[in-house]
Amino acid sequence: MNIHEYQAKEIFRRHNVPVPGGGAAATEAEARALIKEHGPDVVIKAQVHAGGRGKGRVVKRDRASRTYNDLTREPGRHEGQISGRRRGGVRLASGVEDGLKEFRPLLDKDNRLVSIQTGPEGAPISAALIEQQTSIAHEYYFSIQVDGASGQPLIIASAEGGQSIEEVNRTNPRAVLRIPVDPVEGFPAFRGRTLASQLGLPSSAIRQAGEMFANLYNVFTEMDASLVEVNPFVLTGEGTVLAIDGKVGLDDNASFRHDGYEAWRDRSQENPTEIEAEEANIGSYIKLDGNIGCVVNGAGLAMATMDTLMLHGGEPANFLDIGTVNRKDRVVEALRIIVNDSDVKAIFINIFGGLARVDIVAEGVVDAVNELKIRQPLVVRLNGSNVEEGRRVLHDSGIDVQTADELGDAAELAVQAAATAARRRSRN
Amino acid sequence: MSILLNNRTRLMIQGLGNEGQNQIRRSLDYGTRVVAGVHPGFRGGDTFTHDDHSFPVYPTVAEAVEQTQANCSIIYVPAPGAADAILENIAADVPLIVCITEGVPVHDMIRVRSAIANSESKLIGPNCPGIIQPASKCRVGIHPPDVFMPGNVGVVSRSGTLVYEAVDQLSRAGIGQSTCVGVGGDPIIGEQQQAILRRFQNDPDTDAVVLIGEIGGLAEQAAAAYIKRSMTKPVVAFIAGATAPPGRRMGHAGAIIEGEAGTAEAKLAALEDAGAVISRSPAEIGSTMRRVLEEAGKYQPPGAAENE
Repeated sequence: MNIHEYQAKEIFRRHNVPVPGGGAAATEAEARALIKEHGPDVVIKAQVHAGGRGKGRVVKRDRASRTYNDLTREPGRHEGQISGRRRGGVRLASGVEDGLKEFRPLLDKDNRLVSIQTGPEGAPISAALIEQQTSIAHEYYFSIQVDGASGQPLIIASAEGGQSIEEVNRTNPRAVLRIPVDPVEGFPAFRGRTLASQLGLPSSAIRQAGEMFANLYNVFTEMDASLVEVNPFVLTGEGTVLAIDGKVGLDDNASFRHDGYEAWRDRSQENPTEIEAEEANIGSYIKLDGNIGCVVNGAGLAMATMDTLMLHGGEPANFLDIGTVNRKDRVVEALRIIVNDSDVKAIFINIFGGLARVDIVAEGVVDAVNELKIRQPLVVRLNGSNVEEGRRVLHDSGIDVQTADELGDAAELAVQAAATAARRRSRN
Repeated sequence: MSILLNNRTRLMIQGLGNEGQNQIRRSLDYGTRVVAGVHPGFRGGDTFTHDDHSFPVYPTVAEAVEQTQANCSIIYVPAPGAADAILENIAADVPLIVCITEGVPVHDMIRVRSAIANSESKLIGPNCPGIIQPASKCRVGIHPPDVFMPGNVGVVSRSGTLVYEAVDQLSRAGIGQSTCVGVGGDPIIGEQQQAILRRFQNDPDTDAVVLIGEIGGLAEQAAAAYIKRSMTKPVVAFIAGATAPPGRRMGHAGAIIEGEAGTAEAKLAALEDAGAVISRSPAEIGSTMRRVLEEAGKYQPPGAAENE
């Protein structure tokens, strides 16, 4: 789960990680108060769950797609992190009136922030973070994440911050430090000071930077974070260090022990169909561009099903891992989402039961056909736990369904069904 | 007898909730020797009974091991308690721990990996289908048993359902399995693909291996490096997700570790370079393996062993 920068900075503040004075505003009154408190010179940052904000554009919703195409076609052409021309998601302003002028378009409900990371729909802006401006002597990069191969936390840091770390890694890999962390030792302040020294921070800032790194590591462990990233943290003109950006990813699997997670979640930043799928508790759903609706159990088999469809000349309309199905109403809910997708010309159900029992899936399919009045052709491939009963349920129900025992044959049927349905549609 | 499990495997089950009970019944039916259960406050008292089978249930792993000499543990404990259950097994020196549980917090797994590294225990999972070994009738997991049959091909996969898919194709093609291992789909797991490949390479009962990977991470590259360096047995590889569109990038620093290496193309290229035979289609894993075995003179049609 991703959270907003202003939420990450609230967490930082509680863990004694130095951040600029400021706060989030969702209304003009709040913005006015924040500018008065932290101004006159402020930076106003759109709060969305996507990066590239500074180089992005705030545009009317109906222009989002065209803007996205422009940005992705020539990503280098657009102005830097903080735009002098005041059309991006990060803006400088001076004084209350100027600040409000920059704030208003960000919070206009008809506007979207489009960046190379938002996709063509752009992102609705949930709030704006208003902070005092900082005098910057140098920008650095710092992050902590989990390295699956070693099973340990990995700190990545660079004296070339404020830009894409992937780009730095490509052009100057020696400027990127990688520090594996022994989870038993953690990341005490002396390790932090060592890192600060390696990054070339001046002696006078090393104690404070070391503590900041150690405190960021505490954020990582105490919040059950999957990612803590500060790009950049800066050495200020006054010689202190300050986290002027902040990104925190939280591990959804740990939500049971963090009451705060739910309050930080911002559903406006998520895909509505994906939320619907989540609320119906039908596993993981991602909308795609094709016309064959897929219901599969297991992420690996779901991907492999898409691969098979494409190798047979078909195009999946979605990725759907229904997970372990032991209740037939979940099958109905999954099919409801598929059927309501107007792109879907044929439906392919591919279930290989292990924990899941395919007889229950079959009963769910029969219920769904009767309840939802499914018009699209249906191809069902069942295998695994209780498969004989599953096939009997389908057969005895008398519903109109094509079946195959093997993946390749079933995919072929689904591709043909979609092609036939699409041809019929285009003739009419 | 093949890897990880054998005729001397004495299984204990941890977490006798509904799902644990269902699954252990199916393992008992398959012929697996289950010697103990661990479930503090188990409602069924101190014994679990299924048809003609029964085993004692203890409140702690240490007691179960002491009383029954269990040497393998399967964990169905729900996610909040799963890491604790793994740690309990490590503390009791259980040699092989298999954790099925999905949704274990990643920071819990950091602790577990650190504890495993300082122990003699081996961990498979979490978020995996477990291990099955048809010849010894050992089912330590959640597999649909009917699709498996004994034979000379090992299977290792990150995905659970793709193990079943691959094995179904192998069995239909007349190819039995020595051992099938689902290593798990989480960012931090116990043994990774290359460790399992090493076990198969050193296993006299395995003549060839099916390797099933997925997009994301670097585990397949590590597996490819091992194949190139040390593996003499043929490997048939499939990577799921070749056609998955790149997800909406959240700009997180994960990309700096894997970069382009997380794509199916990069993984397939590494495996091909290492000498693995690639099955582009997931529907052709079985037929590809049959061809590879025939070329190596290792294809054993079902029933051939009895006729010799």
